[in-house]
Amino acid sequence: MVQLLQYAKRQANALRGNQVTETTHDARPGTHLQLWFLVLLVVFPIVVAVIVSTKETGVVTSLGDLLPGSYAVENYREALVDYRFGRFMWNSLAMSLVIVVGKLIVSVFAAMAIVYYRVPYKDLVFLFILFTLLLPVPVRFIPLFQLMNDLGWSNTILAITVPYIASATTVFILRQHFLSIPTSIVETAKIDGVGPLRFMLFVLLPMSKGVLVGVSIIMFVYAWNQYLWPLIIIDSEANQVAQVGLQLLQGDVQGGQLSWSLVMAGSTLTLLPPLLLMIVFRKPLLETFSIQQK
Amino acid sequence: MSTREIFDSRIESGLLLLPTLLVSIVFLYYPTALAVRTSFFDSSFGQADEFVGLENYVTLLTDSGYHSSLLLSVLFAAVVVIGVIAVSLYLTFLIHEVDTGQGLYLISVIWPYALPPAVGALVFLFIAHPTLGVLTGPIEALGVDVDWFNNGPQAFVVVALAAIWKQIGYNVIFMIAAMNNIPDTLTETAELDGVSGIRRLMSVYVPIMTPTLFFLVIINTIYAFFGTFAFVDLLTSGGPSNATNILIFDLYREGFSFFNFGVASTKSVVLFLVVGVLMFVQFRVTDKYSYYGG
Repeated sequence: MVQLLQYAKRQANALRGNQVTETTHDARPGTHLQLWFLVLLVVFPIVVAVIVSTKETGVVTSLGDLLPGSYAVENYREALVDYRFGRFMWNSLAMSLVIVVGKLIVSVFAAMAIVYYRVPYKDLVFLFILFTLLLPVPVRFIPLFQLMNDLGWSNTILAITVPYIASATTVFILRQHFLSIPTSIVETAKIDGVGPLRFMLFVLLPMSKGVLVGVSIIMFVYAWNQYLWPLIIIDSEANQVAQVGLQLLQGDVQGGQLSWSLVMAGSTLTLLPPLLLMIVFRKPLLETFSIQQK
Repeated sequence: MSTREIFDSRIESGLLLLPTLLVSIVFLYYPTALAVRTSFFDSSFGQADEFVGLENYVTLLTDSGYHSSLLLSVLFAAVVVIGVIAVSLYLTFLIHEVDTGQGLYLISVIWPYALPPAVGALVFLFIAHPTLGVLTGPIEALGVDVDWFNNGPQAFVVVALAAIWKQIGYNVIFMIAAMNNIPDTLTETAELDGVSGIRRLMSVYVPIMTPTLFFLVIINTIYAFFGTFAFVDLLTSGGPSNATNILIFDLYREGFSFFNFGVASTKSVVLFLVVGVLMFVQFRVTDKYSYYGG
């Protein structure tokens, strides 16, 4: 816990751009130079994508061609409307929000039962939930595909959300966090005769705001970036998500019907939601990660 | 002991756990059991399953194509894991060393955490495209003939580079937390002893960061095996001549190009064993070294 606080403090300082005061040694002048070079490498591909998304055609064959064009509005309009990226983005958003909200509710319930109830076999139940970490989508998508067909869920939002609702990671992070809430607070609640529902709403949730935001971002990024499962289970364009929509755009490019600038516009659009969320909520996100590893 | 267990209603705790358990059983455990069952059957579209015992397993044991896919996956995982760890560790070290602009440097290298693999793949396809790519000219100027649509080893390198790029963010997030936790007195002692620069990283920081690094090795290995599907699918489709046909892509093709659900299920079971072994190793290793984490 002390470690966690220290970590949080340093992280907060680092993110505000303050000096980390304990660091006494001076950075050598070459350090900033190397950092600039490496940061450039990490950012370069996306900068190219954004620049190309503003050009008339996607023909950029030399570094000299990397100047922004004036077709941004036209390209993004065409991607969103003519190539139905607006629709794909909307489907991705619906999928991600259902998964985030569903996982949050279901996982808060489970973690609360595991931490605050004196009942037999709950350690076993926790293990049973943790064991699902061994069963990622790639291990079970063949039978899951057949199961969805049997349920008649193929091609629906149910198919791309419900299987994700149970989350070992989220239950684990919440459990760790609940265990760090001081027992004195919990005991006070008990003495006051607070029932489970009020305990959850008025004690547990208010004391977990940061973690809840953090896991929400982790879950959103995870859900938004899903590719393999929607590719398999969604086969109508109207219900498709943005990740697979990109694949459809790419198919049109290979067929020669489409310019690369549109694909880069679609890519930029698909990157924006998780990237913005991550940047805005970086502080609770980083703090939540530090719980995950413990 | 724990005074956190303030409630004791079995019915309530059962209800709280029910959603997570229900989804886990129906969409995680049951499909996995189904995969194990189907792996003993000859199963494909439009025909009744026929029990074949261990035939599918024998097929995999004697299929040289599958063996090379397995070897390829191990090689790919090794390249990705080593690449990601090396680049991220050095980047983290540089950020840890500077006093000014830490926050900005940090966010400009951890953002790929939010990058959708499909977007990463398309952007790489574009910048490294053999005829259109903006990087193709400069690379060919160095005397390399960029031809990764036909050249297997080059395709392998392109997919690996894209996969490494995406995973840097996640790794730096955990590494910077671990490095910031190292007591400054240790850094000062090292400086006094004349241990500076990269030697301080390798002989002082890395040993202390061992638990975090092991955690990341496992996470990155699982990522290389399962999380890189979109890169292979969009960049190379497993080609040219299977040079990038890693296990997860091979499994996808077995199921949804050839519709051999029996053999595909057998391949799922093999993948399950791979994850299982990796997780087991992680738990054993973190157990052994956990005293470092203090």
